[in-house]
Amino acid sequence: MTAHAIEVDGLVKLFHPRGRPPLRAVDHLSFAVRPGSIFGLLGPNGAGKTTTLRVLTTLTRPTEGTARVAGFDVVASPLEVRRRIAVVIQQQAADLLLTVRDNLASYGRFHGLSGATLQARSARAIEQFGLEECAASKVQDLSGGFRRRVQVAKALMVSTPVLFLDEFSTGMDPLLKRSVMALLREESRAGRTIVLTTQVLTEAEELCDDILIINRGRQVARGDLHALKLLSGGVYELTLTFDEVPAGLAAEVAALGPLRMETTRTTLQVSLKEDEQQVLALVSRLAARGTVRRVEVSGASLEDVFVELTSLEEA
Amino acid sequence: MRALPAVMYREARIRATNVLFIFWDAVYPLGYLLVFGVGLDSAVQFGSGAAADYNAFFLAGVLGMASFGIASNTAWSFFLDRDNGIYFEMLTYPISRAEYLVGKVLFNLVVALVQAAITVGLAWLLLDVAVRWEMMPLVALLVVLGTSGWFFFYAIFAVLIRRNDAFNTVTSVFYFALLFASSMFYPLDPLPDSLRAAAWANPITWQVEAMRWATTGIGDGALVPLEIAGFTAFTAVSFAGALAALRKD
Repeated sequence: MTAHAIEVDGLVKLFHPRGRPPLRAVDHLSFAVRPGSIFGLLGPNGAGKTTTLRVLTTLTRPTEGTARVAGFDVVASPLEVRRRIAVVIQQQAADLLLTVRDNLASYGRFHGLSGATLQARSARAIEQFGLEECAASKVQDLSGGFRRRVQVAKALMVSTPVLFLDEFSTGMDPLLKRSVMALLREESRAGRTIVLTTQVLTEAEELCDDILIINRGRQVARGDLHALKLLSGGVYELTLTFDEVPAGLAAEVAALGPLRMETTRTTLQVSLKEDEQQVLALVSRLAARGTVRRVEVSGASLEDVFVELTSLEEA
Repeated sequence: MRALPAVMYREARIRATNVLFIFWDAVYPLGYLLVFGVGLDSAVQFGSGAAADYNAFFLAGVLGMASFGIASNTAWSFFLDRDNGIYFEMLTYPISRAEYLVGKVLFNLVVALVQAAITVGLAWLLLDVAVRWEMMPLVALLVVLGTSGWFFFYAIFAVLIRRNDAFNTVTSVFYFALLFASSMFYPLDPLPDSLRAAAWANPITWQVEAMRWATTGIGDGALVPLEIAGFTAFTAVSFAGALAALRKD
């Protein structure tokens, strides 16, 4: 029995687009995931997250390297891997002509559920995902958000040891997202390994015990949230709320080369990599430019870390 | 062995959402036989002086055409799966690619068998076709083999081709070329040599000729084992091709 739920070693995936040079989507990636952890695979668009997930879920074969899921090699024993995983793929996936209940029943059967167990799991999923009123409706008649609920509900109604979620919260309202995140934590506590990709970094910040940031198919950083924030030491996030943001202020701040900056009519939000004294001096300088209602200075968020590390990689 | 029933259950549930479709699948060959067969039989007076009438000759052609149609419709369902996004999700389910392929055609084999039973039964009842009832197990085997073979053949294209309209073009070309260059509608003996050779190289001819002999005794019984072996080989090669295409995904 392996000590890791997932082991990836020297993974390379090349694509050969017609008329163009080969594309190295994953480039010698190695990592391992502890059983029962929530593992976040983060990176900008085109970083290789989905390709990595496609290899791990047996949808595509690696060009080089090995990957093992629940102790089984994805190339040598793909069916054994598939018996131990549930997957929420990035695009919407449901049988549109079937009802919500039939979708769940059909999915459950593939995973060996039947009879009373299938009924009970299906009923619980319907309740957990707020699908009671549309349980008898065909999925084609539901909104995009509800279709996504059905998709995630399917994956959570079975008890595979490993669960893969590719951008699971797309189209979900904030309330449902909260409750799904709570469910995921519960599943993880019960020993289920969860691997997720997301563009919503606050989700990863709240959920993941372990995070891998990749860019251009390569590892950029790896660790828990605390460790990643240490990698990005000296990043501060400033939020200044004015009666009205003074004219020219945004341009002045932009000239400092912030990692990230957002302005509204009344708020200036900026992430800077500076030493503490410089940050405080800047705060007092900016505050002198108008009537300040509120000042907030905090350490780096995962988003800051992500922006900084991936920008460094790009450079 | 839970995978095959699971795939079959899903296909059945999807097909059951359109009862009219199932009804049409079950009766349209009979309609073809009644309209086309009877019309042609009367127009060319095939029956006068011939060993058999056109209805008897055409019965196997209609059965072959029906299995060809069911197979292409079933293969088209890959596009439905892809449009629904569920195609790639299904490839992560605990089923082998072979089970996915076989499961997909299983429910439609039931439809094909029902369709064949209705067609043969009513051809005997309404058109006085002298049916060899003792050969029905062989007819059933040929319906299963024919529908599976053509489904696997079409599945290769349905999996590899990403555009629905391109797939429709391919099926139209096959429909035209394979159906008319075969013994489905007419006997091969009066044809020019080149067309006859092309027809004998066509797996539809092997399927239809074997079915013709089994249903009505028309044709050369000595060739039937060869025709069945040829079509079985065609089915096996198509299955391997479809499997390779699925694995490529």
